[in-house]
Amino acid sequence: MNRAIVIGGGLHGLSTALHLARMPGWQVTVLERRHVGRHSSGVNAGGVRRLGRDLREIALSMVAWEMWSNISALVGDDCGFQPGGQVKVAENAAELGKLEARAAQVRALGWTHEEVVDQAEVRRLLPAIAPHVVGALVCHGDGSADPMRTVMAFRRAAQEAGATIIEGSGVTAIERSGAGTLRVVTEEGTHEAERVANCAGAWATRIARMAGEEIPCGVKASMMIVTERLPHFCTPTVGPTGRALSFKQTVAGTVVIGGGHQGLNDPERETSTVLFGNLAHAARIAAELFPCVKGARIMRTWTGTEARTPDEIPVIGESRTMPGLFHSFGYSGHGFQLSPAAGAAVAELIARGATNLPVAPFTQRRFDA
Amino acid sequence: MRVVVVGAGPAGVRAVEQLVRSGIEPVWIEEAPDGGGRIYQRPPAGFRRNHRAIYGADAKRARALHAALEALKPRADWRPDTLVWNIRPRERLLDTQTAGRRRATVEYDALILCTGAMDRILPIPGWTLPGVTTLGGAQIALKAQGVGIGARPVFIGTGPLLVLAALQYAKAGATPALVLDTTAFATKAMASAGLLWNLPTFVRGLRYTAALRLRGVPVVEDATPIAIEGEGRATALRWRDAGWREHVTPCDAVAMGWGLKPEAQLADLAGVPFRFDELGHNWIPEKDGAGRTPVPGVYLAGDGAGIGGAEVAELAGARAALALLEDHGLPSDMVLRAHLDGRLRTEARFRAALERAFPYPADLARRMDDATLLCRCEAITAGDLRSAARAGGSEVNRAKALSRIGMGRCQGRVCGPPAAEVLSEALGLPLEQVGRLRGQPPVKPIPLPGSA
Repeated sequence: MNRAIVIGGGLHGLSTALHLARMPGWQVTVLERRHVGRHSSGVNAGGVRRLGRDLREIALSMVAWEMWSNISALVGDDCGFQPGGQVKVAENAAELGKLEARAAQVRALGWTHEEVVDQAEVRRLLPAIAPHVVGALVCHGDGSADPMRTVMAFRRAAQEAGATIIEGSGVTAIERSGAGTLRVVTEEGTHEAERVANCAGAWATRIARMAGEEIPCGVKASMMIVTERLPHFCTPTVGPTGRALSFKQTVAGTVVIGGGHQGLNDPERETSTVLFGNLAHAARIAAELFPCVKGARIMRTWTGTEARTPDEIPVIGESRTMPGLFHSFGYSGHGFQLSPAAGAAVAELIARGATNLPVAPFTQRRFDA
Repeated sequence: MRVVVVGAGPAGVRAVEQLVRSGIEPVWIEEAPDGGGRIYQRPPAGFRRNHRAIYGADAKRARALHAALEALKPRADWRPDTLVWNIRPRERLLDTQTAGRRRATVEYDALILCTGAMDRILPIPGWTLPGVTTLGGAQIALKAQGVGIGARPVFIGTGPLLVLAALQYAKAGATPALVLDTTAFATKAMASAGLLWNLPTFVRGLRYTAALRLRGVPVVEDATPIAIEGEGRATALRWRDAGWREHVTPCDAVAMGWGLKPEAQLADLAGVPFRFDELGHNWIPEKDGAGRTPVPGVYLAGDGAGIGGAEVAELAGARAALALLEDHGLPSDMVLRAHLDGRLRTEARFRAALERAFPYPADLARRMDDATLLCRCEAITAGDLRSAARAGGSEVNRAKALSRIGMGRCQGRVCGPPAAEVLSEALGLPLEQVGRLRGQPPVKPIPLPGSA
């Protein structure tokens, strides 16, 4: 039996553990410093989005979408996935031009999931949209899921597949033993394993550093607003082209507003704080795109801490200083959708040393230049 | 020095009084359209009933507090109808909203929070039916608006407010159908030695019960409410007496309340640590006897810092202001300080006895039926919360993330205490280890910014 330790009980750690535990011959243990889904995994906007992805991410995102489309088969729960579509609206002709160029670029790579629609079609998709919107880029089949429910489904599935999840266990060191295995040291004790996955999110660079590897990566704390329940007016998840916003109405009727507006971040204390000035900006954009939310009341606001790489795509690959350690972090605020596929890729890398899944662009070598 | 006082109830008024005496003109923020607090809430403009009719035995205190309030308004930067919805302790800023729309930020060097309390409830089947309200809500309807919740209301709960509210309704012309006290007379009697620390208040309580019985209002003790029944609105209370016999009492409204819980969200946002108060079964912000918190510049007074009642709130408000003045090297009344310290010590003993006399019926919460609606904002049942406990909801915030309990309009202010009891029972952990819901801004729903 081979042993693997997964550091981090977020969605990527749990997905990696799930896929690996289902492979014959692997005994998997997840070490989570606090509890599963404590940071961005449990509190993100739940966007299941291929639309507008970095070109290097599209292939993996397509694989993930296939998995999302049948997520019950993977984890035994639908994770609250609602494929209501994702729409990026153009607020003027110049933006529409940009969206057309983008669609052409994606088509040239052989993908057909992104489609430009005209004003009439936008109105049909989004009857409540502001009249100045002239068109949009649409991805049918995208949508959103319930993040905490997703975390718990992956956790349950991983455990049923035989993985052990230890909460409240923070890693303090990683070292190589005389026998060549890796030793993961926690305050409670030491775990020995043939392979280790670093899925520690905003704290993953510290784990890399324990292995003697410097990977450039910062942190972010995207803020979210949720309003009181409103009558149903919007099915897809919506964002503008020239401004930062993500906007969706949940099944319950609440409106969740996000889009990468940043709060204060304190990785040392593992906290993040809402900055209302920045939130007000997001709220204003939301009200300009959907006039019907004007005057809606904010119920709650929150942030979640997440790693952000310089080019905002993740790091997936084996450590160059400590072979046997595999990184999977830096999803930069859009890793939720990728998690089923990324976990499968990392599990294959661990088990077989290679994967056919399209994760080659995410090697940390790209920062060498 | 910029001093801000939040709240213009008994504590806030007496705090501002001491500040003004020392030449400080504080920013004085009150969420309601006028001061007085909940206990001395004033009728809307145009209402003509006098203090005696509205406040009964408390008329003298109410009149004195209102007089002080009016005298102080011009000497402070008085901002009524203003909600403090966020505190940024690092920058020492308050975010406020006036009249439901106008936003402002207010700087402070020192802050006295006198944020008061709200009713503590216990969900039973039918508690969300129209016609059901809290004891405090029923009392305010009568006091401030001159309207009753019903002609034949039932009063359920425990504590001094239970018999007082029932008697006020009886005097106002209603016919209370039942006063159901979940506490046994023996429990109250055991605590009576301690209640002597405030003899007048203690005697008043006994007098109210006697007066109710004299008016023919049935008052039952050590009884258990089972369910509020009715189609579309409350029409009866099903309950069980101490001898385990079931009864159904027809009624047209229900008021319920089991003591009060501090409204301490702002103290939380200001960074004040909390401790679990075994006696009151509440989490309360930490402060010393004078109202100083571990956060420099932040002071607490009144029920928002731990339930003490209106008399204590007045003393504590003045005391916190004196502490603030002293800490900032300003002249303060030393004689008054010594007097207040003595009074507050005595009152603390009385309060401890009161909590023993009228305990929160934790057992009823812990044994709550799975089907009972616990969180009315998000429609979460006790069973849902127990499932969340099994799924890893090892403390209240975790259980919130898993079940959505406390995520709605009230932010857990209503369902928080009973939810903690249910969770504590489900996990087999003491209440203290189950924790408390972390405060999050906005403390109450506010309109989206930029949309005013």
